Amino acid sequence: MKNTIRIERAVHNLTQAELAGKVNVSRQTINAIESNKYVPSTVLALKIGKVFSKPVEEIFVLEETD
Amino acid sequence: MLAIPSAVLIIMTLNFDFRFKFLDFSRPAANVNFDNGFLWNIQFNNFTDEIVSIILITGLLFISFSREKDEDERITRLRLESLLWAVLVNSILIILAIVFLYSSLFLDIMAYNICMPLILFIARFNLILFFERKRQAQP
Repeated sequence: MKNTIRIERAVHNLTQAELAGKVNVSRQTINAIESNKYVPSTVLALKIGKVFSKPVEEIFVLEETD
Repeated sequence: MLAIPSAVLIIMTLNFDFRFKFLDFSRPAANVNFDNGFLWNIQFNNFTDEIVSIILITGLLFISFSREKDEDERITRLRLESLLWAVLVNSILIILAIVFLYSSLFLDIMAYNICMPLILFIARFNLILFFERKRQAQP
């Protein structure tokens, strides 16, 4: 699964720590998601979508191997 | 806080026959069944090792399952993974002990093994968190 969090963060001018604060997780978690090391739970994905006011499908995209 | 002093105590009890005198226990022999080591049947025992191991296990449990400052879903998952890892590694260690160790040495090692899974779990979980935070602090 790919995600566009890094790009969305740049668009909204947020740092990893600021985004982490908005969705109530640690900065390491955001970093792990961005570097594709961790797949967030549905709840967290929806929260991130809410922060960027975009549907989850536009932020998280399935890959061939999934 | 509980775990460190009790870890010292359990090593002393196991290795150097350290006992608290006031925990000595005995009762008059009456219908004692020597083949049965259950609590109601024992005749003489010192309860130092029992008390200390209970405190040690409680302390380790507190360390293991206290919340991190920034507890979130990924840390919860890391916790579960570490617990699984600890159980696997511990089983491998037990198998190795069964194959390579015999008689009283085996029994000694099994005594230490009582709290081995918890110690392995704490070690792995905190090591991973430590390296993750160190890596994060650099850029």
